[in-house]
Amino acid sequence: MKELPEDINPPKWADRFFKWYCYAPLHESIYGDMQERYDEYLERYGLRKANRKYWLDVLRFMNRHTLKRSKNSKVNTYNPLSMLSNYLKVGFRNLLKNRSFTVINVLGLSVSMAVCLVIILMINDQLSYDNFQANKDRIYRFTHERTNGRIGLPIATVPVVLGDRMQADFAGFEHMVRFSRGFGGEILQDGKAIAINGLQTEQSFFEMFSFKLEQGNIETCLKEPNSIVLRKDIAEKLFGDKNPMGETITVDTDENYLVTGVLEAFPGKTHIEFESLVSMTGRTFSNWEGTTEGWVYFTLQEGVSMDGLEPMLTALQEEHYNEQSEYLVDFNIQKMTDITPGPLYGNQIGSSMPNFFVIGLAILALLIIICAAFNYANLSAARALTRTKEVGVRKVMGARKGHLTIQFIVESILVSLLSLVVAIGLLQFLIPAFENLQMSSLLNWDLSLEPKIYAQFIGFSVLVGLITGLFPSLYLASFRPIEAMKNAISSNKLSRVNLRKALIICQFVISLVLIVSSTLVYKQIKFMVEKDYGYTKENVINVELQGQDYEILKTELSRLPFVERISATNLIPNTGQTTNVDAKRNFTEEPVNFNYFAVDEGYIDNLNLTLVAGDNFLPTQKDGDETTIILNETGAKTLGFETALDAINEPVILGDSTRVTVAGVVKDYNYMVLYMDIKPMMFRYRPSSFRYAQVKITGFDISDEMTALEATWDKFDPNHEMIAKTFQGQIDEFNAFFYDILYIIGLVAILSITIATLGLLGIATYSIQVRLKEVSIRKVLGASSKGLILLLSKGFMYLFGIAMVIGFTLAYLGNSLWLDGFAYRVSFGVDIFLITALVMIGIGILTIGLQALRATTTNPANILRDD
Amino acid sequence: MHHKLGEFEEIVLLLVAAQHGEAYGLSITRAIEKELSRPVTMSSVHTALYRLEEKGYVSSHIGDAEGNRRGRRKRVFLITAEGKKSLIEARDARNHIWDMIPKFVIEFS
Repeated sequence: MKELPEDINPPKWADRFFKWYCYAPLHESIYGDMQERYDEYLERYGLRKANRKYWLDVLRFMNRHTLKRSKNSKVNTYNPLSMLSNYLKVGFRNLLKNRSFTVINVLGLSVSMAVCLVIILMINDQLSYDNFQANKDRIYRFTHERTNGRIGLPIATVPVVLGDRMQADFAGFEHMVRFSRGFGGEILQDGKAIAINGLQTEQSFFEMFSFKLEQGNIETCLKEPNSIVLRKDIAEKLFGDKNPMGETITVDTDENYLVTGVLEAFPGKTHIEFESLVSMTGRTFSNWEGTTEGWVYFTLQEGVSMDGLEPMLTALQEEHYNEQSEYLVDFNIQKMTDITPGPLYGNQIGSSMPNFFVIGLAILALLIIICAAFNYANLSAARALTRTKEVGVRKVMGARKGHLTIQFIVESILVSLLSLVVAIGLLQFLIPAFENLQMSSLLNWDLSLEPKIYAQFIGFSVLVGLITGLFPSLYLASFRPIEAMKNAISSNKLSRVNLRKALIICQFVISLVLIVSSTLVYKQIKFMVEKDYGYTKENVINVELQGQDYEILKTELSRLPFVERISATNLIPNTGQTTNVDAKRNFTEEPVNFNYFAVDEGYIDNLNLTLVAGDNFLPTQKDGDETTIILNETGAKTLGFETALDAINEPVILGDSTRVTVAGVVKDYNYMVLYMDIKPMMFRYRPSSFRYAQVKITGFDISDEMTALEATWDKFDPNHEMIAKTFQGQIDEFNAFFYDILYIIGLVAILSITIATLGLLGIATYSIQVRLKEVSIRKVLGASSKGLILLLSKGFMYLFGIAMVIGFTLAYLGNSLWLDGFAYRVSFGVDIFLITALVMIGIGILTIGLQALRATTTNPANILRDD
Repeated sequence: MHHKLGEFEEIVLLLVAAQHGEAYGLSITRAIEKELSRPVTMSSVHTALYRLEEKGYVSSHIGDAEGNRRGRRKRVFLITAEGKKSLIEARDARNHIWDMIPKFVIEFS
């Protein structure tokens, strides 16, 4: 037979496929036959046709004799479950044996997991909206978009008349519910004013939505005009234990409503926000321009298609909107299940979080858990090196690769379930902290832990365990028994750590940036809160006037012995609110925009401001027209007065025509949010704008004095609760937003540093384990421990150096961006970088140094014994 | 247990006996192609061999790796006593039918 070149081989994929399906004991002989045959093909037909014929052979060989056998075969019994108890036992023993390792793993994983759990809860909360609505998949609403001018957000409201017209023109509706906004006001109940809001709607509301009535007739409660149905908690707030049915509520002193129903507590969250429902009967709608008037929801009869609606909407658009009207309007239809979570709409019927936020959260959770999983995998792979003997023995005893993979995956699921327990423990602290954030109060999170959620948690952690366990277990299972037993796993195989090093650097850079940023945010907030604003706010209580006359209140409050002084204003400084007016010195000049405060003559004294020139307002001014103003120094300068004195008694024109003279100039002080510079500002004497009485008290016992204030208020205005806050309290409330940010960045910083440290620990342990033999030999040859630790740590110090250079640069640049927006900002200071660097180096020494120390203190005999 | 031999199985079994000690999948495939001038796929020969083995008419063992087999050894098939018996039975049955054919049918066809 002619010898054929051995280097022409049959198609590799065909071989692989054949090996994959072929029953192992038959594989060799059949494969050999096919090789001989292939060479014949080559000789006879040439390469291409030979390859094709070879493929055909491979495919033809598939039959009941050659396919792998799963069951009846005695050679390959594959039932991993039979070993499960053993895996669990060995797994537990291993966790107990390496306690410190287990603790690190579990802690690291559980911190990240806890954050993911919160996010899972948030996503669940978002998905829970309107799940109790029986018709939820059939309810739709009309929305619109304004198509002329700037393309804005789609808007959830429509002119209510659209509903009427559609109902008249289209026969396929089952129900239609029209909502109109605009019900709301104050109810006087037992001498107290209670604010109430609600939606105007119609009886079909109860047919379309699954809200139930606790009291009242569900078929007629909204039929009569001026009937009102109350939410349960509102009914309790208004009437206490009294039965509200049949009672009359007077809103804003002139509208009377009869209570015809009380709603049951809602079985779940709903995107429709209301405290009460008011009958729409008697109202007619005809204004097509009223695009923010209300909402129109509908369901179609069974079997009626949506297709008929679109052309009608288009026709109505063309009929009612053209170039002359205020907007061009494009009507659309939105399904209810797409509302929350859903895209961002203007004029929503209730507050909701747009869906991109939810998706963003999910991605964040994914990133966190990938980082954590990656580190866990690194650590496990390092651990694996100490378990090569076990793998070897198991293999010799007949374990196959699949068995071992499953064993190690079971172990990692075990760790991840343990972490879940810790993470659920952490949740008990995390959830309240999260709910305390200012922004969460807006969205009304419901983060309760239901059984269903626990099932999700367990599923999540099993998945995490599976994914994290996959890499190390595949790697472990691939050891060859002999090498494994001899402890001769070559270090080449393990040294592919460049990718890991890059990831470690990334993690540390992120942590560095976050640590620097959170320290800076903290410093900046502290700076802002503690900064001298240039006026005194201690012991000043701001009492909201709530429409009451300031002069009378002042007289009442002045009688209290502890009240030192009272002044009036329209705005509280440093809370982000401003009022503005244009001012100029004569009609030909360009006006200057001024912030102004409407104050009375007590204001300057009360806040301890300094008049640098001129005089205060005269108390007699209040009766007449506005005649004088007081400027701040910047204001005087901006208007072109060289010195403060120059400005005194000079005329200024406010707005278009109000002529006033400058009575005085006050020293500059910070009245704005602290990231802004001092701008031109003036005081105007305008009693009609007063909204707060600022009461300066002695402050010996603030709570006592507050109580006394309240008693006086209650006599003065029995219908409203006193709304009073300390000056400082009011500013703190405004600053709470910054604390929210600090809180979040701080948490993320802690999280990222934990993850990064674990990652470092993993890679350090790993690399040092690989070099154990080298270390032992060096030691035997007389290397000192110190030298060895240096040797082992050198590579990591290098990594650290890179991470710090990148991290600090990024932190500096990134933080400069936002800090530059602040007129009054803290400087970076060497201290921030020093502290961060020290923290980082400390972590580095702890993780790497300890591992290195451990490696150098092991007895070389133990490691070199086998060689 | 007595199995009937199929026609293709009978040919394969005959060839196993003919190539005594040298018979493996490909050699039989080649022989069928050469002796009977009949196209046959390797896999059907293999399948027939496995079926014969199941029926107990042949036995197999791992042999040498001669030829361009890229180092893979052959599975060599040997006919068993059972196999021989059933071959003889098959031949007898055929002969019996041959004997039933009137002489002139073949002579004058």
